[in-house]
Amino acid sequence: MREPTYFVLASLLDGPLHGYAIIQRTAQLSGGRVRLATGTLYTALDRLTAEGHVELVREEIVNGRARRSYGLTPPGAGALRAEASRMAEAARLVTDHGRGLKEVRGARKASPA
Amino acid sequence: MSSLERRCRRLLRAYPAWYRRGRGEEMLDTLLEASPPGRRWPSFRDTRALMIGGLRVRGWTWLLSMLWVAAGAVITGYIFYNTTKPWEPDLGIPGWSTDPLAVQIAVVLALAALVALPVPALIAGFIRLRGWRRGNWLRAAAWASAWIAGVALYALAIAWGEYPLHSCPNMPQTTVPPQCPYGSPAVVSWGELAIYPAWLVLGAVMTWILARPARRWYVPDLTSRASQDASRWPPGAGDLQA
Repeated sequence: MREPTYFVLASLLDGPLHGYAIIQRTAQLSGGRVRLATGTLYTALDRLTAEGHVELVREEIVNGRARRSYGLTPPGAGALRAEASRMAEAARLVTDHGRGLKEVRGARKASPA
Repeated sequence: MSSLERRCRRLLRAYPAWYRRGRGEEMLDTLLEASPPGRRWPSFRDTRALMIGGLRVRGWTWLLSMLWVAAGAVITGYIFYNTTKPWEPDLGIPGWSTDPLAVQIAVVLALAALVALPVPALIAGFIRLRGWRRGNWLRAAAWASAWIAGVALYALAIAWGEYPLHSCPNMPQTTVPPQCPYGSPAVVSWGELAIYPAWLVLGAVMTWILARPARRWYVPDLTSRASQDASRWPPGAGDLQA
């Protein structure tokens, strides 16, 4: 799963959001790293809707235009959780070997320049 | 309507009409909301993303078909260009070797594309249409008929372009049998020139046939589903638990 997709799904964890709210929430969750353009967002929403990970839950008219809110589906939540677990596993490969990292740092200091 | 809204609407034309009908207003709402106050033009990032998104939705079929139509346009232009040139008897291939190299390369590439693209376009269309359902067979038959009609028109144009024996204007008849050389104004008749635009129209029809919506769910016309699905939120607690 690509990072923007991950954050789009994560942005919907607290409840359905409409397009611009997803853009804002995604930027907030990623610390400003993932800044979705509108075209990119709707490409992702099309794909996620087709895969059944996201669904339309509300539609309203604001300023004469359709505003749709999207929510996470159970399969979407499952996929997000699986991805989070995978990343946590990958992170543990490094964080659980703190002693190994210290040894690498120590070896660097000891080695001649 | 603000200038930003007008420009965003124009930009959204990167997407096909069937897609804009379902998504256009929603995307416009998001674009306008995401733009800072006082902005008059959409940002470069948004412009680039919309162009790429539009191409993705239109698909390879549309791209290939449009390349094919563009190749036809290049050749049409070249033929018009040739009608304006005098015949040059000293060159081995009259009408070609006097052209700038860029023109010659463009024409050769356009000819290659015109011949080679219909088959990959048809294959891409069928990949896009996901299978061999009845509706798809009808589309394929319509597409193939349009292509055959185009080739037939081209053959007819060549026949129209052939002048009667010993009647090529402004050139000696040294070949046996006497023929007007390629690139000579004598070869290109007005009938042929009329045929080429007709061929381009056929190309546009072919593009339209195969570049229709690939999958129904692609069109986000989900209004009726929204109320039914609202009750399914939030997802099951088990889906979010460790």
